[in-house]
Formats: sequence, structure tokens, C-alpha cells
Amino acid sequence: MSELLIKNAYVIDPINDIKGEIMDIAIKDRMIADSVSDSAEVIDAKGCLTLPGGVDSHTHICGTKVNFGRYMSPEDMRAGRGRAQPHMYPVSGYSVPTVYANTYRYSALGYTTVLEGAMAPLEARHTHEEFFCTSLQDTMANTLFDGNWSVMEAVSDKDLKRVAAVVGWTLAAVKGFAVKVTNPGGTEMWGWGKDVGCIHQKIDHFGITPAEIIEYLIRANELLNLPHSVHLHCNNLGKPGNYKCTLETMQRTPNLNDKRQTLYMTHVQFHSYGGTKWGDFCSKADDIAWMLNRKPQIAIDMGQVMFGKTTTMTADGPMEFNLYRLYNNKWSNHDVELETGSGIIPVFYSRKNLVNSVMWSIGLELALMTKNPWQCMLATDNPNGAPFVKYPEIIALLMSSRYRDEEFAKIHPDTGKRVHLPSLDREMDFYEIAVMTRAAQAKALGITDIGKGHLGEGAYGDVAIYPIKNNDIDPSRDYSKIIEGFSLTDYTIKSGRVISRHGNCLLNGNNRTIWVKPKISEEYNMSNDPEFVKKFERYYSVSMENYPVEEEYMNKRNICIETETGL
Amino acid sequence: MIKKNVICSFCGCLCDDLSITIEDGKITGVDNGCALANAKFLGKERLLKPVIREGDSIKETEYNTAIEKAADILKDAERPLFFGWSGTQGEAQAKGVHLCMLLGGVIDNTSSLCHGPSILAIQEVGHPGCTLGQVKNRADLIIYWGCNPLEGHPRHMSRYTTYADGFFLKNAFRERKLIVVDVRKTMSSDVADEFIQIEPGGDYAVLSALRAIVRGEEKIIPESVSGVSKSQLKRVADMCKEARFGALFFGLGLTMSKNKYKNIRNAVELTDELSRHTKFTISAMRGHWNVYGANEVFTWMTGYPYAIDFARGIPFYNPGETTAAEILYRKECDALMVVSSDPAAHMPKKCVEHMADIPVIQIDPHKNCTSFFTDVQIPVAITGIEASGTAYRMDGVPLRTKKIIDADFLTDTEVISRIYERILEAKADV
Amino acid sequence: MKIELSIKPREKPFIPIEAESITPASFLEKMTEDITVWSGNREKKLTEIFDVKKSGNADSQKDVEIILNGDCSAVKRVGEYMKDGKISIMGNIGMHCGNFMSGGLIEINGDSDSWLGREMTGGEIICKGNTGDYCGSGYRGEKTGIKGGKITIMKDAGDYLGESMAGGEIIVNGSSGNMPGSEMQKGTITIYKDAVLPCPNMRGGICYVLGEAKEILPTFKQTGSIYNSDHKRELNIYEGDYANRSHKGKLFAGKTNKK
Repeated sequence: MSELLIKNAYVIDPINDIKGEIMDIAIKDRMIADSVSDSAEVIDAKGCLTLPGGVDSHTHICGTKVNFGRYMSPEDMRAGRGRAQPHMYPVSGYSVPTVYANTYRYSALGYTTVLEGAMAPLEARHTHEEFFCTSLQDTMANTLFDGNWSVMEAVSDKDLKRVAAVVGWTLAAVKGFAVKVTNPGGTEMWGWGKDVGCIHQKIDHFGITPAEIIEYLIRANELLNLPHSVHLHCNNLGKPGNYKCTLETMQRTPNLNDKRQTLYMTHVQFHSYGGTKWGDFCSKADDIAWMLNRKPQIAIDMGQVMFGKTTTMTADGPMEFNLYRLYNNKWSNHDVELETGSGIIPVFYSRKNLVNSVMWSIGLELALMTKNPWQCMLATDNPNGAPFVKYPEIIALLMSSRYRDEEFAKIHPDTGKRVHLPSLDREMDFYEIAVMTRAAQAKALGITDIGKGHLGEGAYGDVAIYPIKNNDIDPSRDYSKIIEGFSLTDYTIKSGRVISRHGNCLLNGNNRTIWVKPKISEEYNMSNDPEFVKKFERYYSVSMENYPVEEEYMNKRNICIETETGL
Repeated sequence: MIKKNVICSFCGCLCDDLSITIEDGKITGVDNGCALANAKFLGKERLLKPVIREGDSIKETEYNTAIEKAADILKDAERPLFFGWSGTQGEAQAKGVHLCMLLGGVIDNTSSLCHGPSILAIQEVGHPGCTLGQVKNRADLIIYWGCNPLEGHPRHMSRYTTYADGFFLKNAFRERKLIVVDVRKTMSSDVADEFIQIEPGGDYAVLSALRAIVRGEEKIIPESVSGVSKSQLKRVADMCKEARFGALFFGLGLTMSKNKYKNIRNAVELTDELSRHTKFTISAMRGHWNVYGANEVFTWMTGYPYAIDFARGIPFYNPGETTAAEILYRKECDALMVVSSDPAAHMPKKCVEHMADIPVIQIDPHKNCTSFFTDVQIPVAITGIEASGTAYRMDGVPLRTKKIIDADFLTDTEVISRIYERILEAKADV
Repeated sequence: MKIELSIKPREKPFIPIEAESITPASFLEKMTEDITVWSGNREKKLTEIFDVKKSGNADSQKDVEIILNGDCSAVKRVGEYMKDGKISIMGNIGMHCGNFMSGGLIEINGDSDSWLGREMTGGEIICKGNTGDYCGSGYRGEKTGIKGGKITIMKDAGDYLGESMAGGEIIVNGSSGNMPGSEMQKGTITIYKDAVLPCPNMRGGICYVLGEAKEILPTFKQTGSIYNSDHKRELNIYEGDYANRSHKGKLFAGKTNKK
């Protein structure tokens, strides 16, 4: 039995309504406990800011597409190189670093839980293999359903239960965590080199619209009683004027769940664009935030863009092709039969570029204009907007209007006419940052019940202690100390074990993969469904028997959330 | 007993529909497989016990002794080279990378002898590709360039392209056009709708000409390019633009001929150009069953798909310098470990000469040309028959190969892990 | 300051030495016994590999001259990131000599191996012998090769000379191998004798092949010919590469042979 006592911690734990109190945290056998014995190991937090371990509810760190980003980018590996340490393997890479680099860097920032944003079911083993090496964070995978033929056929038949049955079967088969929809219908159209305009355009052959796919998947998701809501990457990413499409998608979202949002909309920065072309491109973050403030059933993440070099990667194949034609840099694409697509290109977001400057502003505006921080997560859609190592800078930007002004002065001079940022003087506090970087994310993912994202008794002992003292610092003025403090924890503790001290990872291993298994009756078990079986016999290039991810790919202490369903 | 849906661990197609008949613990029949698969599943020849070289003679020994000897060779090497990996399970590849990290060696896989140049091209311009099922269901134009699938990947055409069922094609075989590009006639070119015969070394010029024609610059193209008439080039460019979904597959005839990776770069750029007109994809015909897996595993662990030098503790990648053949050719390494591969059969003579000069460890179920140079050979269970393990198909789809019969051999992963542990112990003693 | 390095006999003479520490800056800033090089996976003192004779003093890198004696063909990365001063190599030199160089002079009396002057931005390299492949090129996956400086090869160059070149000047007094100036964007390459498949996929820059340009691509457009007084000969002018969307490159060739 292991015991740990963190003494004298300045704790913010939003889920348990603790908004900054000096207290002790006891951890017994990996879990937060009421008390520990005198023989417990003691850490003196010395009054430093102590939060539940960070949760990233949308990042790309493991799987086919991420690895292809590495594969095609030896130039990216020239940055971030580090030798092996006693418990660390050598690392390299900046925007698409190696698995080890990702897991070490996340732990240095105090993150203990991450969700891979896009896993193609057919290629799920790959994601799980990389999860094995992401040993310092618990992992989950969003599973892609945007172009799933069986789903689209069931939607076309207006058969909600069948949609749910397909989703349920697939999630359990590939050991996925949640339903991800990337440019619904667009990825199927990309199979013909086309895209969809907005949510009402019919998809070739299947005769349904993105709006219908979204609607049915939202209802199926609730029928399956999944912990997380549908996780949507809207149509039209990155196109001027796309905010209308985003607004309508929001407008149509029903409110079906009282514990969490009904729809999680990801990297909304990329979907809040006004104008008709790049020439009159502008921010519509105000309209999006206005709608969000009236729709408690929606949660978003920022998709913040930060200046510099990075790599964009998404299941949204047609969008990446558009980017390729814009940048003329190298372009990779990878369609996945009967399911989805993906694309990758390297980009450089420049302060001197007007479009990039507007994008930078939009992300911040979304966060600052969303009244309830529980509805807006801090994320960059790593590495699309920026590598996650930029999170501390984003925190500082949200906490300091002075820092924002200073940065604003360095960007393209015409930005001011197209954005709202200079007029926003909101400065977030540590509580709001704690919400946006862990509590809201855990709540949105639906994993607070299994003990993630908070420090209540019985929760996992995931704790991050930052070298920041509330009383000694004025975040508005000392923003560089905020960046420094959030960049490197004094301690990152996962399941009661110190995994990182000042960025030196002290242990190797023992992460868990969290996945869902909806309980579905034999009647709705797709394994027995002739049409579904035929998909494998005739159209997939892999047989049904060889499709599901075997137990061997699960880490030993994986967490399977079994749900009671309406099937 | 018959086991169905068995995955074939022979070539990069990883066909997963084989039926294997097993009687008394032995494989007696293979259904659905090609001739290459049959040979693999029904093969009898293998090394039964570890062997070590003592002076001029080869002696059988036990696993422990062989593993000890392998660890002894590696632990003091100044520049050990770890090569092969395309014929083993992903788990062993990962362990191999850790071993190489521990020892500060160079690790390379057989890509450097096959599609390494394709990877270099992808690193310059990217790779617009897709899974094989996407081609099967949609493509109405298939191009095989510098490859002869009917002989090299015998079921590629029937499972994934020309002869396969396609969801969006009523009569796939008749609706799909087939173009074969090669320097000579082959079995595959015989069944093509259009055969483009190029003078050896002329692929690059033909690809450039096609790009220009697709872009509307046909005026400047001469009447003949590398033996191909302008009228045929124009016809082919039109076929590509008019296709609903075109899929270009290329083989070593394009990758390993004159201009190597620049050929592939040009083919990718042609695909990019065609993508402005219609749907087009490009894919490599990967050879060994898990060579793509080696690329994937190496990439997520080290950042690079092959040819990684850990001498300085931080991975360094520079094919042409850190590739196995070049290292052997320049006599840079002082020890060699070969896993599931036969470099002596595929590398230039000067490389093989260096193998004779340095200690060589081989982990392989079979004897092959490289075995003549080994100081220790450790036989292992055959993945996909006697052991299960992860493999990546040529299009990146990961599959789990199965164990279908029992055997008294350690797996590659177990052997490499034991060597790793032995070296850790030895280092701790110092 | 003058530093004379003579390579010592080694038990395993083919194990490469990585010696990016052999630059004027190192000798100016460090004690000789603190300078290290790598032999395979081992870090060794410079003095274990070389006999070192140091004489005189220097205030700046400019006043430092390093002389390398003996066969250094297994010594890599000499002069990496060199900013000023001089390195004289009396025999052959290994790969990556003068990588990322931004100033100063490297003179090689023998042959140089591949990646000579990779990604250099300034300074000068003169190689009196032959050079290997990728002279004046970039790194895998990067968009650009050298951006400035001057490389002169007195004999022949290997394949992919000046790949992705984005500035500077390369002169080869002999012939080049396959595909000089591929993906070239800016800068000038002059090859006094022959070249095979010059400038494939070039987007900009200028390349002279004063001997025979073998296998000029069909996607190059001949726009005329000109008497070049610098080189005293009639040269055909080509524009290309029309396979590319941008094709502002210029290729001047003595004799040509279109594939």
C-alpha cells in the first residue's frame, strides 16, 4: 500500500467547489483519501498552486495520422531533441514530436489525462499501440463516424436504433471512448475529391445531409448513454464566412442531457470566420459566443492559434487539400475506406500575416466572450493551432489584458478593424483557468464519476503542483511568471505517484486507457446483422473477425465504462 | 481443424482471408493463399536450435548461451548496427529500438533496400494516399508503375484493385481501366488496357511530361519522351483526368531505378496535380509483410522511419549516411545484429565483406545467406504461424497476425528482451 | 593562432569521428584539453584522436587557422557552424564538412565526402579534389538548400549538387553527376564540363552547364541562344521546369541532348 500526503497546498478544485484554500491532500493506494497514516510520504507544497491533473479534451498525439505527420517531417525532428535520462528515452520533435516527447512534455505541464481527437476505427490498433508508450497520461480515443457507411445508411432509413447499434458495436470493437464527427459527410464526398458546402447539402449516393448525420448521432449517443457527448468538428473548417454554418449547427442542437453538454464543438476558432473571402476575412467570435451563452447544451474548445511553425492534421481531408493549395507546401492525405479520411500539411502562422493575426485573435475572443468558463476549454487542437507546449502562453494571455495588448501591438496592423479583441478587458483568474484546463474538460468528457478531473475523496490521485504562489503574483502584470509557472510543475502526480518533477520524469509507465462498451441486446448486436456482415465480406479490405482490437492492446489497468443503453 | 481468416505474413498485402488446415499440430493445407503464401505456411526447412561459431565450426547450443554470447558481442561495441525488422512482429521492433537506444547504435530496416527512396520523396512533398479498400470500392482507373503485381503481390489485383468487388462499380472488372507502366512486358502488362513502355531510366522525364500536359503545357512536349509517344502521353493524361477515382501504385521499378526518390517525388507531384481535376491517390507496393510496421514503430519511438543513428544519444537521421548498406560499405560498424532479414543476399559485395570481418548476430527462424557470416544465430517462432503479433499493411492498416500452431521457440520479442536484460545486468555490474 | 591537428592511427580506423568541435570558435573559447569529439558512441578527448600543436594567439575567430593533416575521410562535421577564420584540410575530409557555415574559409586539398557545405548561408569552401553527393544541398524534408556563400570544386561533383538551392554560388570545374540543381529556387550553379539531367523541377535560379547537358528534360523550353562572353562560348537558353507551377529557372547549356 502506498500513501502520499501533500501538505500546505493552495488548492483549486472546481468540481468540488474549492476556489483556493490552503489544505492537505491525502492519497492512498492511488486514490484521494480522507487521511493517511503517519508513515505516508510527505510532499510540502509550500502554499503553491495545486490543481487536479490537467485534462486535454482534444489533442492529436497518437495514431496513424499523427505518426504520418512525424514520418513526413524529419525537419520537425530537428527541434526539441533531448538525450536519454535515467527514466526517460531520448526525444525529438516540436509540432509532431515522438510519443515519448509528448508524454514527458504533457507531464511537465501537469497533464495526466488526454483524449486523442481522431481515431479511424479501421486503424484503431495503431492508436492503442501508441497509447502504450504514452505512459504518463491516461488516454482515450475519439472514434470517427463522419463518413461511416453503415451509419449513413441507417440515417437514410431514419432508423435511430440502428445508428446507435452501429456506433455501439464499433466503439466496443475498437475500444474507443467517444463519437467523433469530422466534417460530417465531407469526408465521404472527399472520396470523390469533393466536399460539402454546409449542413444541408446532400451527400452523393447516400442522399442525406450533414445536419441529419449530426442529429442522428446526437440522439444515438444519448440512447447509448455514453459518458461524453458527440464531439463535432463542424463542416467548412477554415473557410471565410463559415460562422453561419457553425451558428446553425449550434442552433439546431437539442438539450438532451442534464449532466453534461449535448454537443461538444471542437476547435471553434477555425469555425468562427466572417467575410466572403480572405480579402474581407474577419472575426465572428462575438456571434458564436452570443449563441454559446444561450445554449448551455453546448461546450466548445478554443482551437487557439499561436504564432510559429506547426503541423496541421485532421480527418478533414478536403480542408487539408484546400490548405495545400494555399500554402503549396507538402501535403499528405489518407482516406479510410467506409469510414473517414485525413490530411496533413505543415504550416507557419505568422504575426505579419493578417489572416493569421485574425485567427489568433478569434480564439482568445471566444474564451473571453464565453461567460461560463465551463463551456469553453483551453486547447489548441494540438498541433493544429499550435503545439500544446504553448498552453502556458495562452493561460497568460487569458489572465492578462496587458499581455494581450503588448502582443496585439506586434501583429498585423490591420487586424484591429477585423476583430474585437482590443475591446475586451476581461482577465481570468486561477479558478477560471483551472476550470478551462481540467474541471470543465473532465465534466465535458463525462469522466468525473470515474474519478478524473477533481480531488474529491475516491478520485484518482492526479495532482499538479505549480511553482506559483497566489499572494505573490499579479497575473495581469507578471504574465511572464505565469507562463514560467504553468510550463513546469514542481510535481506532477498521477494515481498517487510522482511522475514528473521540474520536467524530469521520475517513473515510466502505468497509464490506463479509458474506453466504453455499451450494453446492447442480441437483437441489436450488429455481429448478427446480415447487411452489416456483408460490409466486411464485400467492401472492407479486412474481415470482420480481424477488425476488433484485441485485449492485448489494452494496458493492464484499462478502464472499461459499460453503459446501460436503450437497445 | 481448419482456421479461417488467417493473416498471411508474407508480403505487404497482408491478405487476411486464408484458411489453414491443421492436422496433429502441423499445417497440411492452405486455401485462398497465393503460391508465395503456400510456400510460407507449408515450409518445412528451419533452424531447430541456436548455433554459435567456435573457430571454424558451428555448434548447436541452448538459448541461454546464445543470448549471453549475443549480449557479450553488443555490449562493448562502439558502433553496433541493428538491421532487418521487416519480417518480425511490431513488439519486437519496439524492443529493438530500445536496445539500440541503450547501446548507442544505428538501427535501420529493410526500407533502405526497398522503399527508402519513396520515404525520402514523401518527406519532400507528402503522400496523398488512402487505404486499399478505398481503391477497391471507388477506383475506375488503376495504374501500376514499375511493378508487376501478378507476380510480386499475386493477390493485390484480385483483393484490392482490378478484379475486386467495388461498391460504386456495378461490374468492377469491366468498368475499371488498367494502365501498366514498365520498361518491359510482364504478366501484368499483358492484361492492361494501356501499356506504356519506357526506355530504362526514362521514368522521370515521362512523369515530368505528364505533369506539364495535365497543366495544359503540352505544346512544349516533344513528339517522343523516353520512347513514349506524345499521343500516348496525351491519351493517358486524359484518362487520368476523366477518371472518377484514379489510383497509382508504384513498385521498385520506379523507386530503385535511375533518379530513385526524385521519380517518386515526381509521381507524387503528378498525383497532386491530378487532384486538382479529380480524385487521385498514390501508394507504394511495399514488399515484406511488416516493413511498413517497422517504419511506423521506428517513427513513433524515434521520429524517423528508418536509418536512425543513436551514437550521440539523440536520434539522427540521414539516409545515405545512416543507412545499413552505406555503413557496412564504409566499414563503420563493429558489430551487426540482423533480425528477420538477409542482408548478405541483397547488399553489394563490399558490404558483405565487412560482415565477414565483424561479429554478426542473427535472429531468424531460417538459415539464409547471412547465416554464413553469423557468430550466433538464434531461431525464433515464426510470427503469423507460431506467434501472434502486430503488422502494418502496405497502406498503414494495422492487423494482428495470429498464432495458429504451437512451437517450442521463443518469439523475436522474447529473445531481444532477454538480450536487453542481459546487457542491462552487465552494465550494472560495471 | 594556428592549430595543427594530425590524426593518429586508430585500432578501428573506419569508425566515424564526429568533430563539429573543430572550428575556430572552439579553439578560441576552450582549452584544447576540454575539446571533445565522438568516436562511434563514445565521447573522447580531441587529443586522443589527434596530435594537437597550437601556436600563437588570437583575439577573434578571424585570426584562427586550423590545419588538418592525414587522411580525415572518416572525420565528419568539421567546420560546422563556422563563422570566421580558416580551416585548411591537407588530405581528404569526411561528410558534412562546413554544414551551416556562415563565414570564413575552408580549403580542402583532397576529396570531400557528401553533404559538403549543406545548408550554408555564407563564407567560402574550396575543394581541390572531387566532392561527393549533395554538395550544397539541404536536409531531408526541408524546403531549402544553401542560402548564401560560395562553394568551388576543382574536380568533379557527385549527384544532387545544390539540391533545393536558395541562394549563393556553386562552381564545379569538372563534371557533376545526376540532377544538379534539382528543385532549385535561387542562386547560381556553374558546371564547366558535363551534367546529367540538370535542374529537374527547378522553380528559379540560374544554372550553367558549359560542357554537355545530358538528358535535358522535355519540360524545359528553349528560348534561344546567346554568346556568353564570360565563358567565351555559345550557350542554349532554357526556361523551366514547366512540370512545375512556377518555372522561372534558367538553364544555359553548351551542347545539349534532350531525352
